Amino acid sequence: MNNQTIPPLAPDAPVVLEMTNISKSFGAVTALVDVSIKLRQGEVLALVGDNGAGKSTLIKILSGFHQPDTGTIVSQGKEVRFASPRDARAQGIETVYQDLALIGDLSVFHNMFLGREYHKRVLGLNLLDNRKMREQAQLYLDTLGITIPSVNSTVDLLSGGQRQCIAVARSIYSSPKILVLDEPLAALGVRESAHVLGLIQNLRQQRQVSVILIVHNYNQIFEVCDRINFLHSGEIALDASTADTSEEELIRIVKSGLGRKAIDAAAAQTRPGLL
Amino acid sequence: MPPTAIQPAKNAVGVKVPRTMRGRLLILLSRYREASIAVVAIVLVIYFQLGSDGGFLSPSFMSVVLRDTGRLGLIAAAEVMLMITGEIDLSLSAIFSIAPYVMALLSVTYGVPLAVGAVIGVLIGILVGAINGIITVRFKVPSLITTVGTLFFLQGIVVSIYNSQPIVAPVEQPFNAIFGQSLYQPTDALLSWHGVTAFTPFLWTLLLVLVLAMVLNRTTFGLHTIATGSNIIGAREIGVRTDRMKIYNFMIAGGFAAFAGIINTAQFTSADPQAGSPFLTLQAIAAAVIGGTSLLGGSGTVIGALIGAFVVASLNNGLVMIGAQATVSDIYLGAAIIAAMILSIQVDRLRTRRRV
Repeated sequence: MNNQTIPPLAPDAPVVLEMTNISKSFGAVTALVDVSIKLRQGEVLALVGDNGAGKSTLIKILSGFHQPDTGTIVSQGKEVRFASPRDARAQGIETVYQDLALIGDLSVFHNMFLGREYHKRVLGLNLLDNRKMREQAQLYLDTLGITIPSVNSTVDLLSGGQRQCIAVARSIYSSPKILVLDEPLAALGVRESAHVLGLIQNLRQQRQVSVILIVHNYNQIFEVCDRINFLHSGEIALDASTADTSEEELIRIVKSGLGRKAIDAAAAQTRPGLL
Repeated sequence: MPPTAIQPAKNAVGVKVPRTMRGRLLILLSRYREASIAVVAIVLVIYFQLGSDGGFLSPSFMSVVLRDTGRLGLIAAAEVMLMITGEIDLSLSAIFSIAPYVMALLSVTYGVPLAVGAVIGVLIGILVGAINGIITVRFKVPSLITTVGTLFFLQGIVVSIYNSQPIVAPVEQPFNAIFGQSLYQPTDALLSWHGVTAFTPFLWTLLLVLVLAMVLNRTTFGLHTIATGSNIIGAREIGVRTDRMKIYNFMIAGGFAAFAGIINTAQFTSADPQAGSPFLTLQAIAAAVIGGTSLLGGSGTVIGALIGAFVVASLNNGLVMIGAQATVSDIYLGAAIIAAMILSIQVDRLRTRRRV
């Protein structure tokens, strides 16, 4: 991992997404309370939190599956409302879910272009341009540094890490402004995780696509993320740059379930003389 | 849709998987499933040809075998499309009966030309397919149940129209000769018009199966059909209209079954309300399975279905020809279905186990 070669995000990088005071309840269950997150151009933001903390709800609001009860989403400087996933896609927000939405029986290149196939006219018929799709897929995967046995092989022949890479590559191909990755490392081995992290690292190097990453393994966050948002009980308990915090501190905060301010305040209370 | 301008990555990710002979063979076998069934078909032809002292490959006997192949093949190919989407249609035999029955009835009672009646018959088949599809997709009834329902429903209608009496359909040339009636006499040259009419049902089937194969393998429609059956949730997330894909394929199946029934009536110049027994659909499904299509959805081959139909038709006719009891062929057919299914699942398992 070429971690050290990546310069920190420029402090003047424009904000591409701002979700402000988002609240959402499902019946009697409150999922999110006044959650605000900010994402800058090219930033890789980690979203962490225990199961049920509201991570999934938050990204499903961002990708248009759920609509917030209150709160606003500002994308590229203008307020947006997503009635469906299609609206979110139109705004350049692509989400890769845990199930990856890959078609096991189709080849890698058909998966890459599913829903946006290239065609050619043959005797007045609108046929698939398989050759072009194959070439484009190969070219694009090469560009991203993803190596697979062949773009012709069906996806069910690929390993978990390769599939994850293909799913991410497919999302990147539609030139998103924001890429949301829902636990891309779940169920992946160490080596496979490294492939996916390498892909994110490559994106981070380019600073063109902003990434929201849901992960559970905290040392991976420090490898590839610029900033961490810790969600706890539907609220943001911590918003810190990875440069300003350490893995130990993050683990302490996550375990306590409190935000850093609360921990500092508690520390100040028990040992007032030291401050 | 231009991709994001991203410079080549400095560190390549992913692993190279060695491409072994065995791996290639399995991929080849799963990609060209037709090849293995074609070998079976050829072995069968040689066996019957030797067993019948050369009678099996005579034009008149081939005409019979290929007629059966045509009738079965049309329904089998249509069934393959549905099986790829993860559905099945057991009502096709009823459509096979009702479409030509309506055609003959319109001709006899209102003097409607057979060609016009045939179009109406095919449209009825497509309509029934649409109804099957809509009930299955919108009301989430398993297609196995939906189509058993429409099977009885349609069969009930067609027998009650005319007190289950077969209608003697009028003969209109060239309609009958084009769509199935054989004008072939042993004295005719095989490459004459009369010679061709010995095989018209098969030639129609061949044409339509080739068209269907192209649709399946070379069009967006085919790609989305496979995606629907392979991973319906994923396909939906990508934006494939999975419900529509299923309904369209039910419509194709209905149209094909109707056309097969019309060919059958053109051949026998009679519309029997019980021409299509449910057994016909089951034989077609057998042909599809023998041809390399699994019931699991996501993959299948219409060419394989046609070859499978040929195998079934050869078994049915060939065994009788070499002197076996007519009923014996069902024993072979039953064994062949189970063997084909086991093979198909094994090939799938072998190739997915090879992934790294």
